[in-house]
Amino acid sequence: MDGYGMQNQIACIRRSLFDQGYLDEQFIQLEELQDDANPNFVQEIVTLFYTDSTRLIQNIELTLNSRPINFSKLDDYMHQFKGSSSSIGAKKVTSECAVFRQYCAAGNAEACIRNFQHIKQEHAILRKKLEFYFQMMGQAAVAQTR
Amino acid sequence: MAPTLPSGDQASDQDNWDNGRLARKRQLLTEIVLRNRLTALVVDGDTTCRVLEQLLLRSYEVQTQGVDNGRDAVALIASGVKFNLIIIDMILPVLNGLEATRQIRDMGVHCKMLGVTACSGESERQAFLAAGVDVFIEKPLDPEHLVPILRELDGQ
Repeated sequence: MDGYGMQNQIACIRRSLFDQGYLDEQFIQLEELQDDANPNFVQEIVTLFYTDSTRLIQNIELTLNSRPINFSKLDDYMHQFKGSSSSIGAKKVTSECAVFRQYCAAGNAEACIRNFQHIKQEHAILRKKLEFYFQMMGQAAVAQTR
Repeated sequence: MAPTLPSGDQASDQDNWDNGRLARKRQLLTEIVLRNRLTALVVDGDTTCRVLEQLLLRSYEVQTQGVDNGRDAVALIASGVKFNLIIIDMILPVLNGLEATRQIRDMGVHCKMLGVTACSGESERQAFLAAGVDVFIEKPLDPEHLVPILRELDGQ
C-alpha cells in the first residue's frame, strides 16, 4: 500500500473509533499535546493508562471476590478507573464505570459483578483497537522515511 | 446574518459554517499567552491523570509539581512552597482530598484551588466546595475550563 493509501486507512480507523463511540473529544486533547518534542506522546499515555488500569482491574476483582464486599473500597478504585479512563477519552469504558459506581452506591453486589464484566470487555476491545491504530501509524511513519 | 446558500448544498455548507464558527469559538477560549510565570500543584493519586494535568498546564507554560496523595500535598504547602493554583482530586490515598483541602485552607492558603474529580454528584460537589475548593470540575480537566482560570490568575 502506498503512503497516501496508508494515511487514508489510518484516518478511517481513527474516525471509526469516534463514530463507534470508543473515543471522545478528550482523545483529541491528547493529540493536541503531542508535538515534535514528544512524537509518541499519545501512545505513551495510552500505554501508561493500560499498565495502571490493569493493576486496578486486579484490585477490583480481588475486592469483588472478598466477602463481605467492601463497597467503599470498590468505589474508590472505580473512581480512579473512571477518572483515568475519561482522561484518555475512553468513552465506553468511562460510561460503564459511571454505571458501576451507581450499583456500588446501592450496595448491589450482583449488578456490580455483572457490570464489571462489561467494563473489562470494553477495556480489552479498546486496547486492541488502539494497538492496531498505533501499529498502523508506526508503519506509515516507517514508509514515509523510505 | 448567516450567508445565503444554494439550496442543494445548504445542509452541508451550513454544517461547515457552524463547525467553523464553533472551532473559532473554541480557539478563542483555549488560546492564551501568559504574561506572568504561574505555578501549580497537581494532587492526584492516578498517574495517568496527574501526568496529563501537569502536561496540560505546562503546555500553557505553567510551572508544575505533582504529588500522588493528600498528606504529601499538605506537607509541601506546610513547608512554605507557594503556588498560584492547586488542582486536587477528591479521592486520594493516605489523606483524602476533602481533608487535605481543609488543612491547606486552615493554614491560611488563599490560592485558587480546583477540585478536579471523577465524582459528578451534587452532594460531592457541595462537599468539595464546602471543604474549600473554589471551582469543582468533573474530569477530565480541559482547556475550556482551565484557560479562563489561568487568565484570571494572570490578571488578563
